[in-house]
Amino acid sequence: MSLNTDFMVKVAQTAIQGVPVTLQIVLVALVIAFPIGILFALIRIYRVKGLQRLVQFYVSLVRGTPIIAQILIVYSAFPSLLNMIIGRAAFAINPIYYAYIVFTLNAIATLTEVFRSALQTVDKGQMEAGLMVGMQPRQTFWRIILPQALISALPNIANTTLYLIKNSSLAFIMSVKDITAIAKTEAAFNYNFLEAYLVVWVYYLIICYAAEVVFYLLERYFSKYRRPIKKTSGFNWLPFGIKQPKLERKQS
Amino acid sequence: MLTIEGLKKSYAGNDILKGISIDVNKGDVISIIGPSGSGKTTLLRTMTTLEEADGGHLTFAGVDKDFEKLTGKEVNTIRRNVGFVFQNYNLFNNKTALQNITEGLIVARKVKKSEAEKIALKALERVGLTDRKNHYPSQLSGGQQQRVGIARAIALNPEVIFFDEPTSALDPELVGEVLKVMQDLASSGTTMVVVTHQMSFARDVSNRVIFMADGHIVEQGAPKAIFEKPSEQRTKKFLTDILANV
Amino acid sequence: MENIKLIINFLGQLLPAINITLIVSVSSIILGSLLGLLLAAARLSESVVLRVLASVYVSVVRATPAIIMIFVVYYGMPMLFNDWFHTNIDGWNRMYFVIIALTVLFSAPVSEIMRSAYESIAKGQMEAGLMVGMTPFQTLYRIILPQAFVVALPNFANSVINLLKEGALTFTIGVVDMVAKAQMIVANNSGGYAWQTYCALALIYWVISLAIDKGVSQVEKSYQAKRKTIAV
Ligand SMILES: Nc1ncnc2c1ncn2[C@@H]1O[C@H](COP(=O)(O)OP(=O)(O)OP(=O)(O)O)[C@@H](O)[C@H]1O
Ligand SMILES: [Mg+2]
Repeated sequence: MSLNTDFMVKVAQTAIQGVPVTLQIVLVALVIAFPIGILFALIRIYRVKGLQRLVQFYVSLVRGTPIIAQILIVYSAFPSLLNMIIGRAAFAINPIYYAYIVFTLNAIATLTEVFRSALQTVDKGQMEAGLMVGMQPRQTFWRIILPQALISALPNIANTTLYLIKNSSLAFIMSVKDITAIAKTEAAFNYNFLEAYLVVWVYYLIICYAAEVVFYLLERYFSKYRRPIKKTSGFNWLPFGIKQPKLERKQS
Repeated sequence: MLTIEGLKKSYAGNDILKGISIDVNKGDVISIIGPSGSGKTTLLRTMTTLEEADGGHLTFAGVDKDFEKLTGKEVNTIRRNVGFVFQNYNLFNNKTALQNITEGLIVARKVKKSEAEKIALKALERVGLTDRKNHYPSQLSGGQQQRVGIARAIALNPEVIFFDEPTSALDPELVGEVLKVMQDLASSGTTMVVVTHQMSFARDVSNRVIFMADGHIVEQGAPKAIFEKPSEQRTKKFLTDILANV
Repeated sequence: MENIKLIINFLGQLLPAINITLIVSVSSIILGSLLGLLLAAARLSESVVLRVLASVYVSVVRATPAIIMIFVVYYGMPMLFNDWFHTNIDGWNRMYFVIIALTVLFSAPVSEIMRSAYESIAKGQMEAGLMVGMTPFQTLYRIILPQAFVVALPNFANSVINLLKEGALTFTIGVVDMVAKAQMIVANNSGGYAWQTYCALALIYWVISLAIDKGVSQVEKSYQAKRKTIAV
């Protein structure tokens, strides 16, 4: 096989400028979607009248449609929407904001489900114990329930992050200059598409694996309370990332 | 000190508690016994407002009111003055043994952290677990967890502590250590209401035994009377069955 | 109101292209499941080499964006075939490339689902089956697989929906599927009615996803009903 390795090196050097863009999209989406996801999960769990239907509808809609369709809708609807509000300036907006919108909307739906199932794994005895030592439901939720839920959600939050990282590769459709977009432009000069995409592939593998390591460490650090003393589970380096999210629930 | 009258509770049309009246005096150690499904857990949970009652009157900690008319504030008052020890411990999983005890003191009672830790350590000492103060619940045996559960309740110094079958989730060899702690509590004058299947505790430690069946109190009295010459046929049958199975 | 009429109109224009989506999805589901089965078998096999290879495969695929997989297959396979088999596959129907890429993408999660379903059932049940005198094959076929199927079904459905959504990237290598069609419609209207067109597109996918979910919960219900009647 004759891959143009010089070209690959060159693409690797230019495409690396897209890495921060990709990370930025993922982080912004996660940070904004996190609290909203918790809120939506609570709405679902406590069956808040009116809102619960709405959240359910939203989650189902986002989950049931391809991200590309969501991108196309946001990218075509928002500029004219904004145009009505802020006038012509809307068309000069950096397209990365559209990426933020799409991926945040997307992450909210996923995280809602993640938090919903995580909150449900926390035994209701924890709330009762809190009430019986005189704490308010709200205090018990923040101090006892939510921390436990977040930790048991970590594997699924990791999955959500991986999805976001991978899906962010479609940001180029909104002319965001991310890794994929840069490589694509480079490749178009003399049709070295395969080389360019191989480089991009490696970048995504690195980013995804790095994210997995980060989440592995987070999980290790935060779930110290779930580990019986001494018995530590070693990191599974070889097939890493294949561990299934386990929503184990400590039954006492 | 604590009086309930005509306490009623039903789930989905099934009457579980059909008018229960109990009088708890200071220093009482009351054992509630009865067949499975007779409503013992429900009784404790409604008395402590974990579950809403459908009817009945409560006199406790300055509250003198029908259950259904309790305000949020009064519910708080009641909860502040009772302790609860759960069948499956319900320790806060994300907190160490010590933090399990200080949590309520600091957050609900607004006790200073250093003060709370002093109180907590004293409570842990009473249940013999000072050396496990930094362990998480998952790192403790069932018996140790339940002792922390008891320490958590006594640290708040409540008027009365309720126990819902505190030993029935435990392996047989761990039952003893928990019963011993409860016995110490009883002899130090703590007011206790204990749902139990441990007939030895009911007979030897408590000063009153209540036998419940089908949402009624069938019979109550001194342990000696209940165990040696029960006046009701159902009590006799229950005791013969359960003692035969020990 | 106006918009709803528009969307309905666009639905009518998009729907004929649905067969591309269906062909691509169904072929990838079938091929991907077969590949997934092989992978699961490899993960469960005695051979360390097979196990390691299969797990590396799964973890790499799991970290690969769908669009990159499609591009790499589309641009890479002709080159591979040219160099190794001296065959020219440039003329292949482009759908084949998408099907291959999606098959690879689908096989990884499916192998994991199959494996964990098998593991969750196999332990006690195989022994129980052997003890009552069934052969290992009979036990597998009559006892383990039916139960594993029920365990795996919701996750499998989830993966199918993901595959369906990833299949919406078919247009990126020039196959005229619903997405490409939608873009053409927008272009023909010189950019007008864009969001209505894309909403129609999203609606079609949503209905398919809902149908899959509905089907799965139906099957699950019927299984639970069976269990109950046995349990009485
Ligand atoms: N949340 C609930 N919803 C519906 N029914 C309930 C609920 N909680 C309890 N019950 C019913 O109330 C009855 C009494 O239950 P309870 O738990 O109070 O019995 P118990 O005397 O504590 O039994 P055990 O000795 O087994 O703990 C049972 O028939 C039970 O099915
Ligand atoms: Mg009970």
